[in-house]
Amino acid sequence: MEIRCWRICLIAVAALLTASGAAETAPLSERVVAYQIEGNYDAKTHTLDATELLTYTNKTGVTLDRFPFHLYLNAFQPKSTWMTEAESIGNRDSEKGAGWEDKHFGSNEVKSLEIVGVGDVTRQMKFIAPDDGNSDDRTVFEIVPPKPVKPGESIQFKIHFVAKFPEVLARTGYKRDFLMAGQWFPKVGVWWNGAWNCHQFHANTEFFADFGTFDVKLTLPAKWNVGSTGLETGAKDNGNGTQTVSFHAEDVHDFAWTTDPGMIVVEDSIRLSTRTVKIRMLVQPGHMASAPRYLEVLKGTMRKFDEWIGPYPYAQITVVDPPHGGGAAGGMEYPTIFTAETAWWMPKSLLGPELDVEHEFGHQYWYGMVATNEFENAWMDEGINSYTEVKVLDALYGKTTSLVNSRLGTLGERGYQRMTYAAMADSDPLSRPGWLFLDSHSYAAISYAKTAVMMLTLENLIGEKTVLHGLHDYFDRYKFKHPAPAEFTASMNASVGQNLDWYWKQTIYGTETLDDRILSADSERLDWYSRTDEKKGITVYQTQVVVQRRGTLDIPVLLEVKFDDGSTVRESWDGKDRWHKFAWDRKAKLVSAEIDPDHGNWLDRDPFNNSWCEKADRRATGKVAGYWTLLTQWLEQALSWLA
Amino acid sequence: MNGSVRSSAGLVWRHQRLVWWIFAVNLLLAWLASLPARATLSAVLDHSLESAKLVTGFDVGTFVLLLERPDVQLPSLASGALGASLIFLVYLLFIDGGVLAVYVEDRKLSRAEFFENSGLFFWRMVRLALYSVVPFGLLMAVNNGIARFAGKLWDEAPPDRLGFFVYLGGKLLVVVLALFVRLCFDLTQARVVRDNERKLCGTLWRSMKLAFRSGKLYASYLGIGLIAAAALALGIDVWLHLPHSAMGASFLVLEMVTITQIASRLWMKAASARWVALLPGEVALAPSPVVDVVLEVSEVQGPQPDWPLPE
Repeated sequence: MEIRCWRICLIAVAALLTASGAAETAPLSERVVAYQIEGNYDAKTHTLDATELLTYTNKTGVTLDRFPFHLYLNAFQPKSTWMTEAESIGNRDSEKGAGWEDKHFGSNEVKSLEIVGVGDVTRQMKFIAPDDGNSDDRTVFEIVPPKPVKPGESIQFKIHFVAKFPEVLARTGYKRDFLMAGQWFPKVGVWWNGAWNCHQFHANTEFFADFGTFDVKLTLPAKWNVGSTGLETGAKDNGNGTQTVSFHAEDVHDFAWTTDPGMIVVEDSIRLSTRTVKIRMLVQPGHMASAPRYLEVLKGTMRKFDEWIGPYPYAQITVVDPPHGGGAAGGMEYPTIFTAETAWWMPKSLLGPELDVEHEFGHQYWYGMVATNEFENAWMDEGINSYTEVKVLDALYGKTTSLVNSRLGTLGERGYQRMTYAAMADSDPLSRPGWLFLDSHSYAAISYAKTAVMMLTLENLIGEKTVLHGLHDYFDRYKFKHPAPAEFTASMNASVGQNLDWYWKQTIYGTETLDDRILSADSERLDWYSRTDEKKGITVYQTQVVVQRRGTLDIPVLLEVKFDDGSTVRESWDGKDRWHKFAWDRKAKLVSAEIDPDHGNWLDRDPFNNSWCEKADRRATGKVAGYWTLLTQWLEQALSWLA
Repeated sequence: MNGSVRSSAGLVWRHQRLVWWIFAVNLLLAWLASLPARATLSAVLDHSLESAKLVTGFDVGTFVLLLERPDVQLPSLASGALGASLIFLVYLLFIDGGVLAVYVEDRKLSRAEFFENSGLFFWRMVRLALYSVVPFGLLMAVNNGIARFAGKLWDEAPPDRLGFFVYLGGKLLVVVLALFVRLCFDLTQARVVRDNERKLCGTLWRSMKLAFRSGKLYASYLGIGLIAAAALALGIDVWLHLPHSAMGASFLVLEMVTITQIASRLWMKAASARWVALLPGEVALAPSPVVDVVLEVSEVQGPQPDWPLPE
C-alpha cells in the first residue's frame, strides 16, 4: 500500500510539473520562423562560416509566391545605400562626410541557397532595392520558389553563408578581440499589412522581423566568454582550441551574440511580479566600477516596467559592456540582450551608463515584444521608449537631475528631450519613414525626443496615470503583434476613454509646433482720468494679459496670474485663435502672468516667453553675462601669451 | 639670487600697480565685449520666471534652450570676445616696454617715462610677438599631433588608459616647451629694453643660448607656472563649493583667480628682467630721448652747459 501510495504521489507530482512546464513554454507569439544556425567563428579574420536552416510557416492567410531576405552586413560597403546615406546625412555614429575606411567593410555572402525538397536555387537569388532602386545595394535579395507556399504550409530554406564583420560600426562588429554580432544572418522579411515588408538597410533605420524560435550553435575560441539572445543550453570544449556553445531562444524576432576573452561575468537575479529573471552582465575589466551602476539602474528599470507596463516574460536578460573604442556597438538592443556603454573615467555625476541601460532595457518591451516596424514607424519604438525612459529615470534619479547631477549644472531627462526636440522641432513629422528624414539629427530629434515630449504634454492634458494606463493597455493588446500607428492611437483612445485624434493628427502626422507666449501683461487704473493718488487696496486696476499663439499646434492653454494682494487666478483658453485677451478688474496690480503654470507642455519650444514678471529680476542675466565676461577675460589672457 | 622666484616676486609686489592696471583693462575690455550679450539676455531673462532655473541652480537644458533662441546669436557674441582679446594683446604689447623698464631698473617710472618707454619699444615688441608665432605655431602643431595620436591609442590600444596618459604626458611636454619658448622671448624683450637693442634676431639667438645655460631661470619659470596652476585649481575648487545663487562671491573668487594668472605672467617677466639687469658686463640703460635731444641741441649751438653731462 505504502509503495503504491508513493507511486501515485510521484505520478501526480510529475503530472503537475509537466503541466506547469507546458504552461510555461506555451508560445507567447505567433511563431512564424524557426531558425537553426550552426557557425564557425574565425577570430583572426572576424568571419563566421555558417549554415542556416530557416523554416517559414505561412500564417498570412494568403499564398506566398516569393520571399525577400535581409543581408544587413552588406550595408558596410562603399556603394551601398547605407554608406551613401551615411556619407551625405550622417548616422548615429558619424557625422556626414566622415568618409570610408577599409576596416569598416562588412558582408553577408550567400554561398548557396537551397529550398529543402526542391534543390539548389542559388542562381535564382535576385538582389532588389525596393526603397531607392540602388542596384549596388545588396542588403535585400528575393527568391521565388518554384511552388508557392499556401496558407498553413511551411517552406525550408537552407543557406550556407559567410558573414564578414566590420570593425564596429552601426551597432555590430569587432574591436580587438571583442565581437558584437548583430544582424549577422540572412533574415526573412515580414508579411505585414497584406504585403512583404523588407526594406533596404538605411543609415537611419533599424530592423523589423517576425517572431519565432532560434537554435544556434557556434564554434568559437576556447575559454572566450559568450553572451546571446535567449539561454545557453550547452558548451563543449573541442580540445583543439575551440569550444562549441549552443543557445535556444523562443518568441523573439532576432538573435544576437557576443564574445570576448576578457569580459568579466557578473550574475544576479531579480524577483518580479510573475517570475524571477536572471541577470547576466559581461563587463570589461576596466569598467568594473560601472558594474554596480548598471545593476542598480537595470533592477530599478525592470521593477518600473513590471509595475507600469507589464511583466517581462523571459528567463534572462544579458547586458554587454563593449570595450574602449567599441562604442559604436554600445547602446543597442536585441531580444533579451543589449549593449550598454561606459568609460573608466565616468563620474557618478554623469548618468550616461544609467541612460543607456534604462533605454536599452525599455526596448525589450517596445522593440522586443510589441515589435513595431522600425523602418517605417521609428517613433513607435524609439519615441515611446524615450518617453518611458523619462518616466523611469525621473523616478529613480529625480526630475531635474536624472542625467547630469553636478555642481557645474544639472540636467533632467525631460529637459534633455525638450532641448533635443526644440533644435529641429518642425523638420519632419513623426510618421515619416526613417530613411526619408532630413538627416540623422532630425531623425533623433523627432523620432526620439518629439515623441517623448508629445507624450509628456499628453500627460498634462489627460493626466499622468491615464497615459501610463494607456501604455499598459497598448502593450497588453499588441505585444508580439507588430502594430501600426493607427492601432496605437486607437488603443490609447479606447484606454483613456477619449477621442484624441485631434492630438494625434497634429503631433504624429503633422509638423505643427507649439510656441505660446505672453504678448503683453499690465495693470492700469480703471479711473485713469482721475487725478487722485493711487492707494493700495483701494484703487481699482484693470489687469490685461494677452496670450499669443505663435506656433500652429492647437492645444488648450492654462494661464495663471498673481496679484500683489496675494491672490492668484487661473483661467483657460481653448487655443483656437491667434491670440486671446484676459482681463480682471480688482483692487490689486499684476505681479506675474504665466502660461502653463504646471510646466507640463513640453512641446512648447520656448519656455522663456511663457511668463511675464512685472518686476525685473536681473540675477540670471548678471550671472550668465558675468560668466561670459570671465570667459572673455581668460581668452584675453590666453592670447596675451604672445606678448 | 639672480632671477630667483622670491626676488622677482618682490619686484612684482613692489610694482603691483602694474598688475592692477592690467587687470583693470582686462576686465574693462571683457565687460565691454559682453555688453551685447547682456542686452540680449536681459530682453529674454529679466521678466521671465524661467530664468530662476539659471539662478538657484544651473539647468543645462534651460541654458541650451536659451542658446537655441534665434535672438541669441552665439557666433556674433563670440566675435566680440575675440575682438576684445586682440585689443588686449595690442595693449600688452604697447605697455611691455614700460613694464620691462620698471622691472629692469626696479624703480617707479613717472607716467611720461613709462609711456615713452612703451612707445619707444612698441614696434619691436610687435615684431617679437610675430616671431614668436612661429615656435608657438609649431608647438600647436605638435600638440595637435599628440592629441591625434593619443586619440588613436585611446581607441585602439588594449590598455584602456594608455591613450589618456599619452595625451596627458604630451600636453605636459608641450607646456614645458612653451614655457621655454616664452622664456627666450621674455629674455629678448628685457635685453631690448635694457640695451635699446634693435637687432632682434641676434638678441633672440643670444637669449636662447642664455636660456639653455640658465637652468635656474627656467626652473623659476616652471615654479611660477606651477604656483599659477595651483592657484587656478584652488580657486576653481573654492568656486565649486559655493552655492549657485552666491553670484557675488563666485565673481570675486574667479576674478581673484584671474588676477593671480595676470600676476604670474608678470612674475615671469620680472624674473627675466631681473636676470638680464644683473648680467655681467651690463650695458648702461639707453638714455632717455629728452636727454638725447638736449645733447643734440648743445652740439649744434656750440658752448657746453655748466652742469656735468651724464656719461
